[in-house]
Amino acid sequence: MRNRVGVGLRVACAIGVLASAACDPVNADVVSSLPPSNVRNGPLHRPGQPCLACHDGVIGDPSAFSVAGTIFTTPSETVGVNGASVWMTDSNGTTHQAKTNAAGNFYVSPSQWTPVYPIVAVKVTSIGDASAVMRSEIGRDGACGSCHTDPPGADSPGHIAMTADDGGALP
Amino acid sequence: MKLCFAIPFAALLGCSAPPSNGVFTEANAPDLAGYPYVAEYTVHRCGTLDCHGSPYRNLRVYGDEGLRYSRADRPCVPQQTTGAEVVQDYLSVVGLEPETMSAVIADHGASPERLTLIAKPLGIEEHKGGAIFKAGDVGYLCMTSWLQGATDTAACLAAMPTPICALPAQATVDGGAP
Repeated sequence: MRNRVGVGLRVACAIGVLASAACDPVNADVVSSLPPSNVRNGPLHRPGQPCLACHDGVIGDPSAFSVAGTIFTTPSETVGVNGASVWMTDSNGTTHQAKTNAAGNFYVSPSQWTPVYPIVAVKVTSIGDASAVMRSEIGRDGACGSCHTDPPGADSPGHIAMTADDGGALP
Repeated sequence: MKLCFAIPFAALLGCSAPPSNGVFTEANAPDLAGYPYVAEYTVHRCGTLDCHGSPYRNLRVYGDEGLRYSRADRPCVPQQTTGAEVVQDYLSVVGLEPETMSAVIADHGASPERLTLIAKPLGIEEHKGGAIFKAGDVGYLCMTSWLQGATDTAACLAAMPTPICALPAQATVDGGAP
């Protein structure tokens, strides 16, 4: 009888620990502030949003990503670029290439590449030789949408774009 | 019932009265005049929008490459860190651990790793951004010389790459693309 109580207590403690690990109120606020999606969950959903808010590897959440984001055509349009290559190099010099899908989304799982921060170089190339480079480093957050929010402002450069609105090079 | 009034009253007295032994923290602050070079370094190495370029961080860094102090500005627009941003960065750094900072400055910058500001980028303390510099390298010298009262501007300049906001968005710097 005493053994059963002991096992029960251990199970209850384990559940409590797991539940508390999954309850990050800051992240919960981020998730609850996301606009609704009109596309069912999958590779094409929620373009431009901070992917790792949900894809964070916490038990019960969707599969983890190490880096993920969305490439749009221009600064003023939210049309995803299909088939763009995203080249990333971390501070150890390891490089990974990801491809965008029809929504402009790309995502990298930890088993594919787990960068050592900072990610020191990012370049995006697309069909027609258009290319864009990220000028700053990525210090700690693999979700592009955490910083690249709309509208652009004092705390955001706006969403990621391949070209300027006139189709020319970005300033 | 009397306790209901007595305890809060005693607590109020305790909050408002100075220490009975007359001991106060003597505030020694590092030099603001020597900080602009250090600010440029911290803006680049610490101030990306996903790190300390955030108003929600204890160490908050404003600058041209990340978070802007003026709501009218944007990252890289204008292409230089403004004077107001340097002052805000200075206040953030100095106000992070005022008592420890005061002690380090009183000791002319000796044992700067007492400061979280130095311990984290050295990798002595847990830091999500990892180790940023090593003891003796140019980044370390830039920051610790400022704490010693004579900013090593050459070290600060050597620690900074080409200002990234001056780089074109279509540049030769790449992530490994052929």
